Amino acid sequence: MSDAELALLPVFLPLLGAALALLAKTVHGNRAASMLESAGAVVGLVLPWAALAGLLPVVLDGGLPFTVSGWNTTIGIAQRLDGLAWLVDALGFTGAGAAYLYSRGNGPKDPLFTALFLIQTSALAATASTADLFNLFVCLEVLGLASYVLVASSQKPGAFLAAFSYLTVSSAAMVFFLIGLFGFYRLTGSLTYEGIAGGLAAMTDHGGVVAALSTACIVAAIAIRVAVMPVYGWLPDAHALAPHAVSAVLSGVLIKTPLFALGRLLAFLPDGIPAMELAGTAGVVTALVAVLVALSQKDAKRLLAYHSISQIGYIVAAWGLGTPEGLRAAYLHALYHALFKGLLFLSVGTITDAAGDRNVYTLRNAATALVRSGDRRLTVALAYAAGALSISAIPPFNGYASKSAVTYLFKGGWEYWVLFAAGACTVASFLKLSMIFLPARQTTERGDGADTIPETHGEFRIRASMKAAVLALAGLCIATGLFSGKLSIFAARLLGVEKASGPLYGFSNLAKAGLTVVIGSAVFAFAISKPGKRLAALVRGRPRSFAGLVLAFVSGLAAIGARLALFP
Amino acid sequence: MIARLLVLGLFLTGIVGLVAQRNLVKKAYALAIMNSSVVILFVLEGSRIGTEAPILGGPPGSFVDPVPHALMLTAIVVGVCVSALALALAYRLYRIYGTLDSDELKRLSGHE
Repeated sequence: MSDAELALLPVFLPLLGAALALLAKTVHGNRAASMLESAGAVVGLVLPWAALAGLLPVVLDGGLPFTVSGWNTTIGIAQRLDGLAWLVDALGFTGAGAAYLYSRGNGPKDPLFTALFLIQTSALAATASTADLFNLFVCLEVLGLASYVLVASSQKPGAFLAAFSYLTVSSAAMVFFLIGLFGFYRLTGSLTYEGIAGGLAAMTDHGGVVAALSTACIVAAIAIRVAVMPVYGWLPDAHALAPHAVSAVLSGVLIKTPLFALGRLLAFLPDGIPAMELAGTAGVVTALVAVLVALSQKDAKRLLAYHSISQIGYIVAAWGLGTPEGLRAAYLHALYHALFKGLLFLSVGTITDAAGDRNVYTLRNAATALVRSGDRRLTVALAYAAGALSISAIPPFNGYASKSAVTYLFKGGWEYWVLFAAGACTVASFLKLSMIFLPARQTTERGDGADTIPETHGEFRIRASMKAAVLALAGLCIATGLFSGKLSIFAARLLGVEKASGPLYGFSNLAKAGLTVVIGSAVFAFAISKPGKRLAALVRGRPRSFAGLVLAFVSGLAAIGARLALFP
Repeated sequence: MIARLLVLGLFLTGIVGLVAQRNLVKKAYALAIMNSSVVILFVLEGSRIGTEAPILGGPPGSFVDPVPHALMLTAIVVGVCVSALALALAYRLYRIYGTLDSDELKRLSGHE
């Protein structure tokens, strides 16, 4: 098998797996059907690792440009499997694998779900390695379509509405993507990144206003998928109401892949660097604003969803620098975020299911609820602790390493302090979420002080596969934290970074971590005080509408367009 | 020129409908109209250099540019999938709540 064929396997194996899973719908007998479905999952989620391992030597040699099926480059679909694509694939298959394992225990259990999940994974891999603008459009649409259905697959009434909003906004944005694509095709007559770059370079004004506006359309359309401020409005509902396993993939993997794909495109465009800078600034703001909103939430999963927006802000901020060092920090944080946020969604989802309550202010005694649902050793609670410590950037967990790497890039600038404040608020927010493990309040205690156990919630059992999934992710959070230096060197080699990263455990870094915790605790104390709660209710009650989201998109588009066209 | 203005008109119709209409089915159609306007724009662009179908046996230079047309075949398929899914979701919501009004649905489903 040639390298080019091998490079297509991460895209085609999940599709083959999806076909096997669909086949399971046609066979009679539960045993055969479930075997086919499991085989599909193994083919789609495990075998691609073998392909990735086989591709590592080529990738280390500088990447592999190829066209699908070896067609001539002028008409074939250009792909490029380089270090970035390999790393994004690895991130995707890790996140998807753990989430799928969890879904075997806590549903949705259905061959159709498996098939859709695998189609989504395939689209992720395709998005990571594409080097053709129209192919990127198709990949993003397939990715989107699969995720709309997966969000709705929780069968919660709110989830249908969330999926509908997500669908309309992101499809409308993709129309703008097509307009941007039209602009580039008209200018250069080409659709591959290299062709577009070559065509633009041959022009005296490098495409001028048309190229600038086309870039703006494409950046704005992808920004919606990445959910950076101000176009984040669809995400909290979709991620909060999806099944837990889907939330983990959506937050962990799905919002980052388009970002890295966009970075690959922007590297070829003359307006790429200013567009990235603009997005990076939006990312810094996103990191702080979203965490403030997260701090005011009462629904546990919605709180996590806002944290995803905040963390993607860190990633976009580092990515927006447009340097290899920035890209490495962005990737490391994306990978670690996929691990710890996947873990948090799965563990918090399990806890809220076990307790039958999702309200952070009323849910208490979570450990009792876990034990009652069959988790005697509190595996899920311990895994949650690993996730919470990671996202709060407590050493030696992985979040500490990647957040230090991101903030190190901004040392001396205003961004540094904004990200520092965001870090403190993250600590506060997770202290608040961790209150679910406190014993119940005195006011609810009646009679002779017997433990007020929340009413039993159905027949919810914590199964082995759910424990295995959270344990694996927790283990990875700790391992990647401990070996972050090695991983950083590996990523640097794949991404072509020459400069070494800053010191990880220097005195100033550790002091900063300590200060973050102290300030975070103070913010937490305010957040649970009476005025803090009133403020939180105000933030929660702020008007949010679909029209507002479209307006945000259009104004964002106008801002990027004006920046690129008027101040080249 | 007039063709392009008509396409722009279609596009604006779509986007205004998407924002202003509260009925989910009308939103889905507005999205389809928006998508169609871009499809027509590409087709129009392809016919700038010629108007004949690109089949062997004519003088060179009289054919349309086939690439935008080929792209739009895919875009139409994607658009149909999106419309179908949007309508299916609207139908499910109607079955649960008995209404297609987006504001009403938001209130009923307790969106924060």
